[in-house]
Amino acid sequence: MGPDGGSLALQGVYFDGRSSRDQPATLTVAAQTATLKVAGGAAEHRWPAHLLDVEAPVPGVRRAVTLPGGGRFETHDDAGVSAWERATGRNLALGGIRALESRWGAALAALGASLVALALFLMYGIPAVARQAAFATPRSVLAAFDRETIGFLESGEFFGPSRLSLARQAQLGAAFREVAGWAGSNYPYRLLIRDGEAGGPNGLGANAFALPGGTVVLTDQLVALAGSDRELMGVLAHETGHVTGRHGLAGVYQALGLTLVTTVVAGDLISAGTFAAAVPAAILSGGYSRAAETEADEASGRYMLETYSTTRPLRTMLARLERQDRQKEGTATTSGPSLIDLLSTHPGTPARIEHLKRLEADGLPAPSR
Amino acid sequence: MSDPAVSARDEPLLGRHVQPPCPAAGPFPATVTEYPVTFTGTAQEYFRLWIVNIALTFVTLGLYLPWARVRNRQYFYGHTWVDGQNFEYRASPAALLRGYLLVAALFLAYAVSGQFESTQWVAGVLVLIYGAAYPLLVRQSMRFQAVNTVHRGLRFRFHGTVGRAYVAYLVTNFVAGISAGLALPWAWYMQRRYQTEGLAYGAARATFRGDVGPFYLIGLTALGLTLAGGVILGVPLFALAAALLSGFDAGLLDSGNILSSGLWLAALVAGYLAVLILYVVAWQYVRGATMVYMLNNVELGGVFRTRATFSPWRLVWISVSNSAARVLTLGLASPWAAVRQTRYILGGVTVRAIAPLDDFVAGVGGEASAFGEAATELLDIQVGF
Repeated sequence: MGPDGGSLALQGVYFDGRSSRDQPATLTVAAQTATLKVAGGAAEHRWPAHLLDVEAPVPGVRRAVTLPGGGRFETHDDAGVSAWERATGRNLALGGIRALESRWGAALAALGASLVALALFLMYGIPAVARQAAFATPRSVLAAFDRETIGFLESGEFFGPSRLSLARQAQLGAAFREVAGWAGSNYPYRLLIRDGEAGGPNGLGANAFALPGGTVVLTDQLVALAGSDRELMGVLAHETGHVTGRHGLAGVYQALGLTLVTTVVAGDLISAGTFAAAVPAAILSGGYSRAAETEADEASGRYMLETYSTTRPLRTMLARLERQDRQKEGTATTSGPSLIDLLSTHPGTPARIEHLKRLEADGLPAPSR
Repeated sequence: MSDPAVSARDEPLLGRHVQPPCPAAGPFPATVTEYPVTFTGTAQEYFRLWIVNIALTFVTLGLYLPWARVRNRQYFYGHTWVDGQNFEYRASPAALLRGYLLVAALFLAYAVSGQFESTQWVAGVLVLIYGAAYPLLVRQSMRFQAVNTVHRGLRFRFHGTVGRAYVAYLVTNFVAGISAGLALPWAWYMQRRYQTEGLAYGAARATFRGDVGPFYLIGLTALGLTLAGGVILGVPLFALAAALLSGFDAGLLDSGNILSSGLWLAALVAGYLAVLILYVVAWQYVRGATMVYMLNNVELGGVFRTRATFSPWRLVWISVSNSAARVLTLGLASPWAAVRQTRYILGGVTVRAIAPLDDFVAGVGGEASAFGEAATELLDIQVGF
């Protein structure tokens, strides 16, 4: 159908699809029929109009109409073809996109929308997907993950056998079983007490961390640093919070997601492993891990409030770790300072202590999962 | 979308290319006509198309990606003109989307299963399958590209066989590997020959008149470039590293040495950038020089040749400066860079023919699965010309 219900004549060239010869032609489209008249009066073709297809418009490119039988008709008459498209509902979506592509305002809006979408995806999308994936991962995989990590840490001299007396180890183990029992969720919790300064350059120092399958590692040095067992139980409850929140595994998936996004966004310009891509990824990972710390602190805070009616021991412990960190800058937790450490580990402890204080002031927060 | 395989399917198969008017006129008939290739796209216009497509891809969580890819290609093809007629790209985005989803699922399975010891065998099996299917994917991708390229209403085709694909992309790469790279230029030669000889426009088949020797010359030039550049850039960096090492050795990277570690970091970054630049320069040279050589040695239907007069060195400069511009503008200069590079390359290409360009006739059409195309794009294989 033409623009006003009448017929529409388009001037252009015709290719019959069998040879590369271009023949000047006129294509006339009416409501029911389309007629192609090749210049020189040689031939005239007639088809029902609905058999003709209009190729999607691309800015600056002449329009093409595909004809039944493999022929095609090309024309510079964009206005005419557009009117025909509008009248017959052809290429509605892609026509709209071409309209967007022709305007600077739309281009600026698209730029803004891209940045917003990217930021939203990085801030909320990846963590949410990683969380879902972490909770969907079967327990058997978690157990394998724990085994592998412990094996790696032992072979890399990150720690050695504990030097604490067996009685002391048993005492801590029994206390941890209470914490684990409180944390629940049927994880096969086990506490590993290890010497964090076994002589290698990779020593962990005063440290505690949880693996996704329920293995919690506590170093002799942290036991020595603690003023009381309550403080240690606060730390261990915090670690069980990481386990039930599946933070370790979510971290793995988040790193994977970030790598994928960097690859897609940066394309072949910078590969995902390069320095330029690593810095923003590290900053974002730092942000994700701070969110996980807060969640684990909340779990620990609930435990402390239920058991001791105060979060003070954990706060004391955090403050002491922070002091020790500052004294032995760089050697306490990891080997050597790096840009990543500067960005991710140092800020936050005062905020965490403040958060625990608030939890205590508010009394018991929302029930555990 | 329109039917992706409209063409010659229901038409009778017509014969070979119409013979030139004077077939007995010898190797240089008097009527050689030159048709310059021109590119009419502009950076501003392409920028708008590009950014709108990126936004739509983000907003649709990636589902629009095939449409974005197709529109990008349509823009570049549609603005490439020879003798008053432009090229068209006719791939069906829906077909591409199916391929993308399948490949994305496989890639995700690979990435996730590689993370855990108990599932690493899955990743291993996927890698093996990918390695074994690689030549097939390359061939599929070429078929897809060719059959969706239209000029003057005629499709290109790719009729390279699976067997030859395995020779060109599996055997040669294996030989290049065990010969410590000595056979690498030969592998390039075999691959370019496979790409060129498999190509056809309508019923006119392409032939490759090139030889393996020039590929060795290209390889040696790139090697010499890398070695010389390595020495020029590497020596000062090594000197700097040695100076830093002698400055402090015991408390390696300990506290207080902020200045030293800052210098270390700077030296590392400088070294990394140097390697990156050397790699880009050498690789872009190989690509550019290969492109020039190929374009100067391809013949279509016995009546049609291309000639490339652009300089591979100039192309290296364009690539390096384009990369710098992209990094400095956080990617926003990408459309400008793409248009600049395309304009330079196409501006240096001429088509020379001893018969009018409208004398070609259709050949057999042919469906091509979009899977190869999607697989090769997502898994980052560079097979383009």
